[in-house]
Amino acid sequence: MSDNSTGFTKGIGYGFVTVRLHPEHGYFGGLLVVNALARPMEFHCTLPVKPSRAQSILYGPTLHDFVCGEQIARALLSKAKSTPTIIFTDTSPVLSVRHFLSIPIGWLESDTEDEQSSMIIPTSNANRVCKSYRVEDVIIQVPEEFQDDGHAIVASWKQNSPQIDLMEPFTRITEALFEANPAAKAA
Amino acid sequence: MMKPFMEEIRVNADAESNRLEKGVQTIEPFDISEANSFFGSGCHDSAMSCSLSSSDLVANLSIELCDSQKETLLPTADIRTLSLTLGGQLPKTIGFTFPESPMWIVAKETPKPASEPTTDSLVVNSASNPSNESALACRASRKDRPKMTRMRPPGDLVKLEDRLYYVLQPPLETLIQSAKLTFPFQPFPYQFEGVAFLFSRAAAILADEMGLGKTMQAITTIRMLLLSGELQTVLLICPKPLVTNWVREFGQWAPEVPVAVIEGDQSKRAWVWNHPQAPVKIANYELLMRDRSLLETNDFKSDASENFSPAQLHFDLVVLDEAQRIKNRNSTTSEIVRSISRSRSWALTGTPIENSTDDLVSIFEFLSPGYLHNDMPLKAMSHASRDYILRRTKDKVLTEMPPKMFRDAELDLTSEQISTYKIAEEEGVIGLTDMGDEITIQHVFELVLRLKQICNFDPITGASCKLERLEADLEEVAASGQKAIVFSQWVDTLDKISSKLERFSPLHYHGRIPSKQRDSVIERFKNDPKHTVILMSYGAGAVGLNLQFCHYVFLFDRWWNPAVEDQAINRAHRLGVKGTVTVSRMMAMNTIEQRIHNVLEEKRALINTLFAETGEPKSLGLTQKEIFGLFNLHLPHRHSKAA
Repeated sequence: MSDNSTGFTKGIGYGFVTVRLHPEHGYFGGLLVVNALARPMEFHCTLPVKPSRAQSILYGPTLHDFVCGEQIARALLSKAKSTPTIIFTDTSPVLSVRHFLSIPIGWLESDTEDEQSSMIIPTSNANRVCKSYRVEDVIIQVPEEFQDDGHAIVASWKQNSPQIDLMEPFTRITEALFEANPAAKAA
Repeated sequence: MMKPFMEEIRVNADAESNRLEKGVQTIEPFDISEANSFFGSGCHDSAMSCSLSSSDLVANLSIELCDSQKETLLPTADIRTLSLTLGGQLPKTIGFTFPESPMWIVAKETPKPASEPTTDSLVVNSASNPSNESALACRASRKDRPKMTRMRPPGDLVKLEDRLYYVLQPPLETLIQSAKLTFPFQPFPYQFEGVAFLFSRAAAILADEMGLGKTMQAITTIRMLLLSGELQTVLLICPKPLVTNWVREFGQWAPEVPVAVIEGDQSKRAWVWNHPQAPVKIANYELLMRDRSLLETNDFKSDASENFSPAQLHFDLVVLDEAQRIKNRNSTTSEIVRSISRSRSWALTGTPIENSTDDLVSIFEFLSPGYLHNDMPLKAMSHASRDYILRRTKDKVLTEMPPKMFRDAELDLTSEQISTYKIAEEEGVIGLTDMGDEITIQHVFELVLRLKQICNFDPITGASCKLERLEADLEEVAASGQKAIVFSQWVDTLDKISSKLERFSPLHYHGRIPSKQRDSVIERFKNDPKHTVILMSYGAGAVGLNLQFCHYVFLFDRWWNPAVEDQAINRAHRLGVKGTVTVSRMMAMNTIEQRIHNVLEEKRALINTLFAETGEPKSLGLTQKEIFGLFNLHLPHRHSKAA
């Protein structure tokens, strides 16, 4: 669906999912869907999520993947009113949501984690093998079993040329999570 | 539902434990609180904790307790099989959708050919750690990017959805780039901060020091709000001499935004007020008085044309330039401005407090009536107003801007001036003393002005120590190919100066120069090298002019208020100035001028004190007591008040 007068393809949304872990309150997840001009279309966030002890024990090293991907990312994406063309995440455990979705998802390793922040980015302990692709000046990784996603992401990016700095929306989501959960701001 | 079941487990576990003691079975006993934790009872805010009840025992994951042992060691034991459902219910979420504004959508550039390596395909195979050269190069490239400016929701915005709307906007630089907005020159980072500040605020004071570009920041924000569809109608009110300056600045910073100036006879003005094609209307304060009836009742039909809408005029935004014009809330101007129907209110001023904190309270009556009041303690007022005011000073944000050098020219009166001055002062003071309690502030003012005029020129001979010094200094200025501004309180004084400075081809910019000619005067001064000096009155030339090509400013006499002097000086010392600005403040020693200077220096220190949020609220203008004190006179039985 393209608007010829503007050259802007309406309806194309890019999803950005992030999960932050607070030592006291647990996991906070956020999804921001932006248009090709990086402007917000919709935003969803979870209430703080804390796994039970049973889950901690039973999921072991894959707990982050379960909570961030199968639970939080899945819940957020199920609430999105528009279907993003591509999903980006700076939280590697979120990649596990790919098993429940048919949308390409790529992980961008964050290089700007705020040391002052009370929350950290959970990292996956699962032994996942990824393939790396380059989009603009960012390296994107996709699970090896979904490596076609990488080609799809690159092709889509080439075709639509969205004006998005891929790392930037995660800053917005994190600030929005703090705004929605002021308690998480305090370390 | 959960708890009884847990208790049942505990009972069974205890039973098993008893058997263990008898050496029959190995099983770990439950603690009830631990069991609650284990099974997620009351665990957390979200619904993600595993749920477990007799009806929920779905065998996604089973824990079978000592099954093999059950077969061999306890063939008759009643061992239960527990089934846990993990992750059956997804976490609760909250969500917001944001309307897309079609106005923001702009044509994108022609897509680059596929062969261009802007977007690369597969670069490496790796595990989850992209620690290769390519990844490192990407990171380095990202870190080199300039800092982005983010919007922040104002403190008085309560609704989470409204706050998130601003939090989730892309950086200002991204918005500008994607909307393909261009600027005559790259704004400074602090100017982007100013735009981000105004963008989200319904009530705001941009109180940057003069010369930091308040006009540009306001215009850019208006431009972006118009493009985003958040504004449709804007009214900008400024002093009359600045109208053409605003029109020019809009042409420079927002060339695609149509601007209409409210001017002409009443019927024309009525038409412009309602002109829908120009989203930005510019009016001057003086004109508001005449159009008061139009603004308040909008009774256009009877005045002009049948086509005008009878509905009350409403503006999405009203901007007051030089907002100190409404510092007296009882003035007609202030009343009219406050009566205009509007959604957003911004005030632009380099001097939100000219005399006392009352000035700030008056501006807030326009922004948010009743929010501040006069009897608030200074700290409370400072705290309450903090989120509404953005004030930056040059020394804080323009660390690379050339400094301004003050050179106080402390001059001795000529012999002719001295004799005239002494007679005038002695006679004046005697006259004032003789008046006793009949004396008023006006009487004292008259004497002050009379003496100041003598300090400029001897009325009998025309002798002037200041003019002698000025001529000598201007010779230097002209010889170096530079230009200078000379400020005076009186047009007559400027005329006298002009007659002595003909060799410098002086230009005039003051109240006797018609408004329509003033722009051309500035243009000639800027572009014609033969005009070395421009003579300005404080009233006409102190605000809104950009004369940063001048490196010399002479204050031939002093104004009552340091803020007005600062505004005058900052015509030259502002953005774009390429060298040090030298300010010569001429002062006749041992005269009324020196006494006023001393008081003004104290006032200047007080302004700094107030913005540092310390000290007691004090009047920043000359009080009646201080004015009487210039002549060692006692204040008659009246209350002290700021002049």
